[in-house]
Amino acid sequence: MSIELLVQALLNGFGLAMVYVLVALGLTLIFSILEIINFAHGEFYMLGGYVTYYVYALFGLNYFATLALAILTVGLAGVIAERLIFHDLRGKALNAFIVSLGLLWVMQAGAQLAFGVLDKPVPSAFSGIVRFFGLIISVERLVVSISAIVLIVALYLFLQLSRPGRAMRAVAQDPDAAALQGVNIDAVSALGFGVGCALAGGAGGLLAPVFAVSPAMGALPVVKAFIIIIVGGMGSLPGAVLGGLLLGGLEGLGTLFMGSAAVNMLGFVMVIVVLLLRPRGLVGGA
Amino acid sequence: MVLIALAVIVLPLLTRDSYYLDVATTILMNLTLTMSFRLQVSTGQINMAHISFMGIGAYTSALLVTRLGFSFWATLWIGAVTAALLAVPIGSVALRVSGPYYFLITFAFSEVVRLFFNNFFENLFGGPSGLVGIPKPGRLLGMTFNGKLALYWLMAVICAVVVVALVRLDYSRFGLTAGAIRQADLVVETLGVNVFRFKLTTFVVGSFVAGVAGVFFAHYRQVLHSSDFGLEPMVLLVVFTVIGGTGSVWGPVVGTILMTVASELLRELHHYEILVFGAVLILTMLFAPEGLVALPGGARRLLRKLRGRAAEPAGAGVAP
Amino acid sequence: MLLELRAVSRRFGGLLAVSDLSMTVVSGSIHGLIGPNGAGKSTVFNLITGVLPVTSGEVRFKNERISGLRSSEICRRGIARTFQATALFREYTVLQNVLVGAHLLAAPGLAPTLFWSGTYRDRERQARERGRALLESLGLGAVGSQVAGQLPHRDQKALALAMALATGAELVILDEPLAGLTDQEKGETIAVLRRLREQGLTVLLVEHDMKAVMGVCDTVTVLDHGVRIAEGTPREIQANPAVIEAYLGAEEPGA
Repeated sequence: MSIELLVQALLNGFGLAMVYVLVALGLTLIFSILEIINFAHGEFYMLGGYVTYYVYALFGLNYFATLALAILTVGLAGVIAERLIFHDLRGKALNAFIVSLGLLWVMQAGAQLAFGVLDKPVPSAFSGIVRFFGLIISVERLVVSISAIVLIVALYLFLQLSRPGRAMRAVAQDPDAAALQGVNIDAVSALGFGVGCALAGGAGGLLAPVFAVSPAMGALPVVKAFIIIIVGGMGSLPGAVLGGLLLGGLEGLGTLFMGSAAVNMLGFVMVIVVLLLRPRGLVGGA
Repeated sequence: MVLIALAVIVLPLLTRDSYYLDVATTILMNLTLTMSFRLQVSTGQINMAHISFMGIGAYTSALLVTRLGFSFWATLWIGAVTAALLAVPIGSVALRVSGPYYFLITFAFSEVVRLFFNNFFENLFGGPSGLVGIPKPGRLLGMTFNGKLALYWLMAVICAVVVVALVRLDYSRFGLTAGAIRQADLVVETLGVNVFRFKLTTFVVGSFVAGVAGVFFAHYRQVLHSSDFGLEPMVLLVVFTVIGGTGSVWGPVVGTILMTVASELLRELHHYEILVFGAVLILTMLFAPEGLVALPGGARRLLRKLRGRAAEPAGAGVAP
Repeated sequence: MLLELRAVSRRFGGLLAVSDLSMTVVSGSIHGLIGPNGAGKSTVFNLITGVLPVTSGEVRFKNERISGLRSSEICRRGIARTFQATALFREYTVLQNVLVGAHLLAAPGLAPTLFWSGTYRDRERQARERGRALLESLGLGAVGSQVAGQLPHRDQKALALAMALATGAELVILDEPLAGLTDQEKGETIAVLRRLREQGLTVLLVEHDMKAVMGVCDTVTVLDHGVRIAEGTPREIQANPAVIEAYLGAEEPGA
């Protein structure tokens, strides 16, 4: 087997991995602030997809403007969900988890009723391929990956430099201490949930042209995001990036040796192995 | 309990309508599952792979009967024992982690099992188009279990055995220990109970019962799809169990009966069914996190508070 | 000797919480473990009861190595404990709390439970009777059917002790049994500890009330920053310059 083939397979694997990392970062952010696992996270991703379909594919707004709009809309939806539903469940992991299953159904069924069950195609904003050193990358995937990386860096800067970002990290580390220092936990929870959902919305917007938009589209990325955050360590942002790269690489290489069904199982097998060796994930902490 | 037992016995006398018998059989099948699921929830474990063990029982029995000509009455045990045996290594791995990691790792297991049934050995499991042509249970002791009524009675007996056994366990020292583990597992461990082995026991016993339900399911529906054991039925299982309330062994009974009937009533409107179920789940968790079983007590306390004095027990008993 | 720690150490990351600690607890004694805050006392308890693994060294009980065993196995061999933040099953009644994991009150097996046999009912009745007797002896007789989470502080402390005793332990390890009690309640608890010693039980305790420690303990071990700085009778400890040094600026060892 040639080196090019291997590298090409890895590249294919990494192609969409950064977008799944976005979804995973949202999940892990929400988990670190509210100690909630949001099973409905994929539905916020789906919402981002529908914003893109209606605004970009039908209305014809610029692709990146649409993306910004998707991020804002879904972020707002996240804030509303936190205020209405998740707020009182802070720290009650079990109840919150069950509630998120309920929300998943409500949002999915709501989307079926509002938008119909059928797939809605979104045209690609970019076409063509780039070749270098005998490797082939589609421009669309390149743009998607780079956009995802930009968003990841933006999140990092937001958490490191901005006041609300620092408040979030303080709450994630120790809510009681943060409260004593005058951090408004209620506001941080709502904002954190909103930012987490916004990331999912952005990911949905990015992948809408790659796949079609449908009410059930959130299932795949959220499952990948779960794998990523368990492998990386829940609550850890670098862990999520590492988990995403590992999953992408593993799946990319997997396609060389096995069918797509077996590749889908690889991630789950990786979860089981990692949890056995390091029960808190590779970058385990929180 | 007496009321429910009476209802189970009386129902076939009132109607021979195959639709009602079908709904009643489904309730009993779901009840078997939710009771065995709740056994694990009582120790604080949300096992998202529970439905997979039903699947393992179902596929094991279906294959043994269709390929090797085994009798249903043998595979009823073999399927359940297979599920329990596989639960030992899977449970041992999953129970090494706790809290959110536990339900994520069990979810990972359930997806592996589902993908396996869906994508591998297509000539055995039938792949995406499903495993078809599974026969009805057939004869035992001179009786034939092929009609709706006979199958209803069979499921009723299985369900009764399971319910009685699990209720007995719940009211015993075993149930006491389970609830203690949910409240403070470290303390239970330092009081001399091997918490890991205890949880594994509930995991294996629960999987055995799920396996029994799976075998019956296979020969009742006569067709198996991997999606029968995927996330959606698993979430339904959680809903049935949680809505009634997991604090009491009667919670899943109330939840399963109410929700199965509701599901039948809403069957024509699939999207709305899911929508309503999701909304009910959210509202229950937000406003009655102890479940519906705890509502009469809560209402009574509220009434007493409103009247401002210790009143007579309010109203007729709503609880079973 | 009943319990022996041989050069036990415990490291958390870069921090050595317990360093090369050796101590012995003599059967039938009340042994105090004292030291300033952060001296590693609770860590020592966690190491003895297997809640935390030792980094090096070993813990022996009745001449057998117990470090490395599960907490439940250590309890079965005869060591029970209470926790500093009183840990109870708050939703259960007082009697139910005592019944959990109570090996003195042996649970019937699975089969008798399922078939509700005579054995089962006899065992359960006996367990309840013994549980009530135990509660009675600790002054909890009147509150057996109350929910544990709603008990006053004193009763919660007594219940935690009752749960430890119900395991049939020979050595009970108590983490601050007097914390938060009034002087009168402290006196009652001390009387209970003395009675347990008369019955042949061994007690190892961490306590900040120096007056009580010096009054009730046969032997006292002093820890500072994870290191044993003194061990001896209360009289010897009170005269030890290293101990007085360690406590300067903190609380004085009681008169």
